[in-house]
Formats: sequence, structure tokens, C-alpha cells
Amino acid sequence: MNESVANRRTEIAHRICDELSECGVKLIASLPDNWISDLIAAIDADDRFTHVPVNREESAIGLCSGAYMGGLGSAAVMGASGFMTVIYAITKINYSYEIPLLTLITLRGAPGDHHKHHVSNGLYLRGVIEAINMPFTIVDTAQGIPQIGRAYRHSRTFSRPTVVALTRDLLR
Amino acid sequence: MRYSDCFQRLAVRRSDQWVITSAGNSGQAWWAATRDSERTFYLDASMSLSTMFASGLALGHPAQRFWAFMGDGAFCMNPGMLMVERSMNLPNLVHFLVSNRAYGATSNAAIPNGADNDYGAIARAIGLERVFAFDSVDALDRGLDAAVSANAPGHTFVVLEVEPFSADEQKLEQPPFDGPEMKYRFGRAFERTSGTEIFGYRL
Repeated sequence: MNESVANRRTEIAHRICDELSECGVKLIASLPDNWISDLIAAIDADDRFTHVPVNREESAIGLCSGAYMGGLGSAAVMGASGFMTVIYAITKINYSYEIPLLTLITLRGAPGDHHKHHVSNGLYLRGVIEAINMPFTIVDTAQGIPQIGRAYRHSRTFSRPTVVALTRDLLR
Repeated sequence: MRYSDCFQRLAVRRSDQWVITSAGNSGQAWWAATRDSERTFYLDASMSLSTMFASGLALGHPAQRFWAFMGDGAFCMNPGMLMVERSMNLPNLVHFLVSNRAYGATSNAAIPNGADNDYGAIARAIGLERVFAFDSVDALDRGLDAAVSANAPGHTFVVLEVEPFSADEQKLEQPPFDGPEMKYRFGRAFERTSGTEIFGYRL
């Protein structure tokens, strides 16, 4: 990776951190995906956040939902594959109790992702999100980063979860 | 010890703790013992997320104390959560693992390897130091204060060895709240007590 690409990734990561902080996010629970490794590193190094690495994506849903009930702004950060494992938790907690939640995911399986093991996400990720009527925003440029804040605030108005998908073009 | 006897005793010994119950029997038993509709969040059908939910609350409010109940059926679905709890190491949260060796909410179906699972050993192997286990009401009476004392450092894990629900206990009422009502009952009580703003407006 050349220096300019590394610098760009770092800048994007910091801009996302700034956006999350401006929303009032204090707690971030994460599981890694290669595309968000720079973002997670930036979150971990940022004193504005308490970063809790979890070992199962559902745990991030539980943790952030509890944080909301304590008035603590939070976000869950994970890959698309991890997101596909949390549908039960989201429907049981965030829909049943109407608890807001912002989740940032990677838009795996979209054109530009050369990993064949993400084909299933390309085929089914959006369909699953639509099936549970979850407001869904794609951010694929730096200019779109403020959409993260809009999605966070909408989750509070809507009293349900929202998801923002970050693309390879944005992150890599 | 009988599941209901254990929860009746815990209810008597509880003081100012906020309580999160798990899916299934713990919500029924706690509701029967307390009829608490404000300082308890009945997190039905959460399947292993009650302590993560409680951790999110406890993290933001170190001056408040929290108890979270989780059945061993739920625990076995996501034992990795204990590693996250250990890394957070919240001193104001007690994780009660209600070990009945069965999926209590589904007709007491057997848990794989249920008879041999040593939950305390699992917790210690992960690095938890404050690990307690009680298998009788007398033992609970003698040891509970030490287990849940307010100023103990680090995360606390308490194994409650109970009998599966009897046929009569299975008939205990479920907490009668739809999700949004539960959210607002608990949240408004938490706002009043802690001074925190959760919903963005006060009644």
C-alpha cells in the first residue's frame, strides 16, 4: 500500500469518527472486517469513545441497546457477514422494544469486492435489510459521511434501528 | 434449590440494584417474586444478550448497580460474552448465571453436556476472579453479601444451581408488558433516579 492510500484511509477513518462524535456517540462496539480495520484502529485510539471489541456481533447489539437505555450514545461497527448474523437480536430487541440503534457495516459483495466468499452478501444482504424494513443508507464517498449522523438521528426519531453501509470505494 | 425459592430470596436481599432478566424462566420467577415493573427490564427472548444489555447500562453509570440474570441455556449459546465482560470488568454489574441444566422456557429440554458443564471453572479460566456458586438457599444466605457487595473491584459472576421449573412453576405468569411499555417504564424510572436523559423529553 502506498503512502497516499494509507493517508486517505486514515483521513476517512478520522472523518467518520468525527461524525460519530458529533452525534453524541460515546460507546462503540465492534467486530473487524478488513475494510474497516483502519476505522476500528482510529476508534480505538480516539479518547472521545469507549471502544468495546466484542467476539460475536449479537453482543454489539445487546451492548448498544443497553447503552441507549442508560442514555449513552452508541454505535455498532461490523462487517456485512456479521450483520447477517444479528437479525434475530435486532428484531427481538430493537424492534420489539423500539430501541434505537445505529449499525455501520461494510457493503460486501457489491461490485468491486473481489472476494468470492462475499458473493452471498452481494446476493442477499440488501434483501434481508429490506425484509425487516430497516432504513438503509449507502455511503460511498467522503462527501456522504454526514449521512451517518442523519441515520443516527433518524434511529432516535424512528425509535428503531438504522444501518449505514460503507463501500469499498470509501474505505479502501 | 428450587428456582422460585432462589429468586424469592434474591428479591428479599436486593436493595437498589437495577435488574435485567433473560428470556424464559428468570423473567417469570423475578416477576413472581417482585412484581417490579420499573426497576427491572424483562428482556424477553434475548437469547444470551441480557448481560451485554446490562453492560451497556452499567458502563455509563458507575454509581448505579446492576444485576443481570441469564439462564445456562442462553449462556451456552454465547459463552464468549464472558470474555467481553471480563475485558470490560465492570464492578457495578453482577452476572447471575441461573444453572438449571435445561432449556427451561422450552419444556426443560436438555442442554448438551449439561450435567458436566462447570460454569465457574469456565469463568475462572477466562480470567474472572470474583466467581461464586450457590446450590442451596442456606448457602445463598451465607454468601450473597460477599458476592454482591457494592465496592468490590471487578466483574462478578455468580452461579445459581437450581432445579428446573416444576410443572407448577411453568405456569407462573409472564411479565405482562409489551416491549415499548417496558422500555418507557424502565427508562422513565432510570431518568428519575439517575438524572440521565434517555428519550429526549420528560413527561
